[in-house]
Amino acid sequence: MNGYLGKILRLDLSRGRLWDEALNEDYAHTYVGGSGLAARYLYDLIDERTDPLGSENPLFFLTGPLVGTSMTAAGRYSVCARSPLTGIWGEANSGGFFGPELRYAGYDGVLITGRADQPVWLSVIDGQAALHKAGDLWGADIYATQTRLREELDDPKVRVACIGIAGENLVKLAGIANDHGRFAARTGLGAVMGSKNLKAVAVRGTGKVPLYAPEEFKAITNQILAFYKEDFQSQSYRACGTAVYVNLGHMLGDLPIRYFQLGEYASADNLSGVDLAEKFLTRNTACARCIIACGRETHSPTYQDPKVDGPEYETIGALGSLLMIFDLEAIIHAGHLCNLYGLDSISMGVTLGLACELFERGLLTSADTGGLEIRYGDPEMVFRLIELTARREGFGAVLAEGNASLAERAGVPELSATVNRLELPMHDPRAYLGTAVTYALSPRGACHMQGDMYTLDLGQSNLGEVGLEPGDRHENTFEKGRMSARLQAWRNLYNSLILCQFENPGVRPLLAALNASTGWGLEADGLITLGKRIVDIKRRLNFKLGMNKADDRLPDLLLKPLKEGGAAGYKADMPTLLAGAYAEFDWDAESGYPLGDLDL
Amino acid sequence: MAIKFPSDQWIKELCKKLNTSESYAQAAATWEGDNTFIILPDADYPDTTYLYINLQHGKASDARQLKSLDEKKALFTTSAPFNTWRRVLEGRLDPIQGIFSGKLKLVGSMAQVQRNPKATYELAKVAGQIDSDFGT
Repeated sequence: MNGYLGKILRLDLSRGRLWDEALNEDYAHTYVGGSGLAARYLYDLIDERTDPLGSENPLFFLTGPLVGTSMTAAGRYSVCARSPLTGIWGEANSGGFFGPELRYAGYDGVLITGRADQPVWLSVIDGQAALHKAGDLWGADIYATQTRLREELDDPKVRVACIGIAGENLVKLAGIANDHGRFAARTGLGAVMGSKNLKAVAVRGTGKVPLYAPEEFKAITNQILAFYKEDFQSQSYRACGTAVYVNLGHMLGDLPIRYFQLGEYASADNLSGVDLAEKFLTRNTACARCIIACGRETHSPTYQDPKVDGPEYETIGALGSLLMIFDLEAIIHAGHLCNLYGLDSISMGVTLGLACELFERGLLTSADTGGLEIRYGDPEMVFRLIELTARREGFGAVLAEGNASLAERAGVPELSATVNRLELPMHDPRAYLGTAVTYALSPRGACHMQGDMYTLDLGQSNLGEVGLEPGDRHENTFEKGRMSARLQAWRNLYNSLILCQFENPGVRPLLAALNASTGWGLEADGLITLGKRIVDIKRRLNFKLGMNKADDRLPDLLLKPLKEGGAAGYKADMPTLLAGAYAEFDWDAESGYPLGDLDL
Repeated sequence: MAIKFPSDQWIKELCKKLNTSESYAQAAATWEGDNTFIILPDADYPDTTYLYINLQHGKASDARQLKSLDEKKALFTTSAPFNTWRRVLEGRLDPIQGIFSGKLKLVGSMAQVQRNPKATYELAKVAGQIDSDFGT
């Protein structure tokens, strides 16, 4: 089976049983890989009764047909399960080297069910899988865990995906780390791993991914590499990381400030990726075969952090401008703490932002927080709350349930900055109105990685063949809704291949690479068909898990126009935008359910 | 009276307008870097033209048409076909969209551009205020 290893490793932790299972080729051909393929598998395995933190919730690590090949920026893997944070479809993906290494070890994915009776970790070395007692590894931070497992296996090239103490403590904001500080961060899947008493998965292999047309594949990947040498965005990411967007995002009103309530603030420009590069960057880091190398390894003299992963744009927004903290070193340190404990910095920041806002409004007092005064602009308090959250201690146990839960507890659900209980990322839907559709319809809750309208409307102009054209970011029309839906289909395909979303060489090169890998012989319009089918299966699964059309909404907070900045005066016309998206996806206008037949 | 674009007179007019624009002075207060705009031939314009301008801390100077790129080495070059420039000057192409889409090819310090996106916006805005004669 070209483009695939053809094998899934199955692990039943309750019985301590490991076995190989053939990859379902029909599923792979129809849902590609990554989160799309995982959704198809899990559609048959979970329903509304599945407890996200119960042994019955399967946790699926999956790769895609381009992972582990010579394709640049395809070094990713997905993790999927029912989310304990949102209760709906949970997916997260991460770069680095873990995904390719899993394939070199002989597997397309690992499907984990059950729950171990004591903490364990899994090794997968060249087709041989084994379970090990975690012992005192339980309680270790993510860096120590990775180091110790490489020592244990006596191989510095072992790649490890693991949880920190946040995952062990079932914090619903917990992610899964790999390759030092890269994270499959979103939707609380670290807690699912923790609920299974699974500390880590360590992989190492020497195999190769079989390709349909290896020479053609090599030629096309070389062509793509050449593209990046000229590409302005790629050069920008290389120079300044994803934080290169801070100043532009601020100018456009896309960078959230003071819990999504300020459209501009002069000090926000102090968080520039340029400053980060000039003052605190130690070196660039790259995922497998990526020449962009947007990753940052930084240091913080003030906080004596010699080696920190990031911060990237999202962390700078979530732990910086959102909390009125405009000190890059403080953000580096806060991001480092999230990394150590294994927390999603976006969800952590947005939950802390709500805590600040509630305190500001007198809806939360020190009597509720164990004596803590939670104010905007207080980095020391942020450091303390991150630790309390990871340990579920004191008020941290409240924060560990996430932003929506905190808003409900305070009696002000309208102040929650979530969609379907997932905290908003650092792109304001009033700056790019298409983002409002992305957030409202994203299968995992508010998510920028399901359709980056800010990239498209910023000028990405090489996707015309699949009907994606940059437009006016403040257009509030049926057509904009359609465009946003189409982009969501495109990015859902990306999340299944699995490709980094900074890999944007255009339709033809990607199509050629996929065909040379799999031999599928797809045409350009077939790519969007695949993407829409992937969105469709996730939609059906979410309805099965209890979602309905009424959940397709933005939080009230984001429907109030900002008074200042590049997004001032704008708000999404949700009925019009959603109508366009429903039409594009072929969803029933009344029920929101997909009209097509997936032959499930 | 409209000023021919591109021309020596046009770039000198841009220089004059930039130096009287308060919004440009503010937006480009930290900008350091001269720029040569390269107007490339297309169906409506047969030549390659180089327009140089020095931009430092919100002020412009030394604006002139160059015979070639070798005449004056600038920190930045921005090149595009004539009609792409026209679309920017007529407000039909957002300059940032133009740069990100590669329609305007900018070569120079990424850091400088990304740190000061407002400077680019204001420059395009002021340039768009010139009564330009595109000859068609």
